[in-house]
Amino acid sequence: MSLIELRNVTKSYAIDNAVIDAVSNVSIEIAKGQFVSIVGHSGSGKTTLLSILGGIVKPTSGGVLFDGQDIYAFTSDELSEYRSKKIGFMFQFASLLPVLTAKENIMLPVLFRFNGSDGSGVSEEKALELLEMVGLGDKINAYPSQLSGGQQRRIAIARAFMNNPEVILADEPTGDLDEETEAEMMNFFKRMNNEKNITFIMVTHNTDLAMQTGRRLRMSNGVISEL
Amino acid sequence: MTKELTLFSFALKNLSRKKLRTGILIIAISLLVCSLVFAMSFVKRVNASIKLTSERLGADILIVPAGSRGSAENILLENQVKSFYMDMSVIDKLKTIEGIAALTPQTYLITMPSLCCGVPEAMVIAFNQDTDFIITPWLDKKLKAGLKKGEAVVGSDSALNLDLGLVDVDSVLFGSTFKIVGVLGKTGTGLDNAIFISDDNMPHIIESGRVNIKPGQISIVFAKVKKGYDPYKISRNIEDSILEVDTVARKDIGKSIVNALSDINKIFYITVILASILSIFLVWAIFSAIANERAREVGIMRAIGAKESHVLTLFFIEVVVVGAIGSLLGIIFGNAMYFTLSKSFSIIKHLSAELNAVERSIITISGFLIGTSVCIVGALLPVQRLKKLEPLIVIKGES
Ligand SMILES: Nc1ncnc2c1ncn2[C@@H]1O[C@H](COP(=O)(O)OP(=O)(O)OP(=O)(O)O)[C@@H](O)[C@H]1O
Ligand SMILES: [Mg+2]
Repeated sequence: MSLIELRNVTKSYAIDNAVIDAVSNVSIEIAKGQFVSIVGHSGSGKTTLLSILGGIVKPTSGGVLFDGQDIYAFTSDELSEYRSKKIGFMFQFASLLPVLTAKENIMLPVLFRFNGSDGSGVSEEKALELLEMVGLGDKINAYPSQLSGGQQRRIAIARAFMNNPEVILADEPTGDLDEETEAEMMNFFKRMNNEKNITFIMVTHNTDLAMQTGRRLRMSNGVISEL
Repeated sequence: MTKELTLFSFALKNLSRKKLRTGILIIAISLLVCSLVFAMSFVKRVNASIKLTSERLGADILIVPAGSRGSAENILLENQVKSFYMDMSVIDKLKTIEGIAALTPQTYLITMPSLCCGVPEAMVIAFNQDTDFIITPWLDKKLKAGLKKGEAVVGSDSALNLDLGLVDVDSVLFGSTFKIVGVLGKTGTGLDNAIFISDDNMPHIIESGRVNIKPGQISIVFAKVKKGYDPYKISRNIEDSILEVDTVARKDIGKSIVNALSDINKIFYITVILASILSIFLVWAIFSAIANERAREVGIMRAIGAKESHVLTLFFIEVVVVGAIGSLLGIIFGNAMYFTLSKSFSIIKHLSAELNAVERSIITISGFLIGTSVCIVGALLPVQRLKKLEPLIVIKGES
């Protein structure tokens, strides 16, 4: 059985009198441990699709099954738990909280998952380890305003792994990184994919990166197709 | 290692990002609580004094010369120095009224400050030892036998003045020397500031010519009512049949003060209510602004797994911290104001009763609860709106 299954998912937006389908009748299955990339023009519906997968945007019609369960049949709290425990989301835009330090930002998913700390200090070690992995071990106590755009981006990448998610939803995660750092991050992703069997669904404009993934999808006017 | 991240520390960090705004909010709440604490202390103190006096007086009805009702209350409740007189024959007339169990007269005299070597003006109360039931209960055991001529006891606060040298031991009162043989127990009433002598001394004092009183005059008669009789009815009876007197029934002691104060109380409370409403609006406005500013951040938190309850708790902590700090400051300011101003409010200055620990606690707790509730009520709508926010907003860029 596949880990994630989309059945005839459509998301429509009404703009003025016109209705546009940002995602149009998408049906796909994604197996556990797959590394999937999604390419497509600006406005083709990639972010909308990831948001639907992440339990953030409810589709207008169709179903999203995770482990066979329809996540949009969940209560608000169950959906929050789904986002907290199953999903690690890397947003397209800056998403760090300005009052928290790098380490605190990374610890935030743990706070929401356990209503506080995990009580063992394991999470804190993990946070430091992740900061090290994204090459920012020396920025533990820096605030987002003291970091460059690319450094903030890497903190957000680290944050997505904090709760040991089953799926990483990455929306142009390397958008504002230089080529070298981009390659490092991609290697980091592949390692997490191999070692921990984390499923990756990554939106990218970089065809080189897409070529490195096991399965490639294209979005075009809300319609999805295999490459 | 830095400090652990908790919802509480997170909320505090959020509060400290706009220090001026948080400060203004705290000050607003503290001003509200300050005026509340002050008003409650004031009103409670007046009421406590009245209750105490009527409970400790031991009399059901006070009989005073017509028109002197207010003066009598001033003496008993506020330690003011006043005198008024009527003829002793009133006692015989009172004895004919049905339902009276006991009667005892007292005569109020005022010492002349100018005549007496710097001793401040004080009330001297001459009481009738044979019939007394007002003063004797407060006397030391060894004095229960009675005061001899030329002996005096002083109220507990006068005793303090004695210690300070403000009143001479073996005081010279109205030209005669009085030996001070004891101190009255603390009554918490106006009696604490008086000097007590037996009315055996009256002829001698009148002879001295230093007081404005004629033989056979008294100031007040205290009456006890027989069981089963209504003090109010008897009071009215007395006023109907003896035209030259006014009466105050025990429950009515302080009524004229209460009436005078009730308008002040109303003004106090209306002010506090208006200030509360104003504060609620202020909190509402500030938290609406906060809600707008942080909508995107709340969206991010929801998208990475925060439940509605997390968002609610986070803002609730901010609200309660502001409310609690503001209330605590307000309680401190309010008490400071009460103690400073009570010296300049003549009505409080003269009041006998102090607020006890229970009353203080009630005022403190009410101040705290009201200050904090005002914050919570004001923030309710904006925070509710945030809680319901869809995480969708995060997928859009800068907002
Ligand atoms: N909240 C919304 N309201 C109305 N229309 C929306 C909303 N969100 C997205 N859209 C529309 O849906 C379509 C798909 O948007 P989406 O953000 O998914 O594109 P994208 O593929 O991620 O583009 P990009 O590569 O530029 O990020 C666009 O036409 C967009 O205008
Ligand atoms: Mg996008």
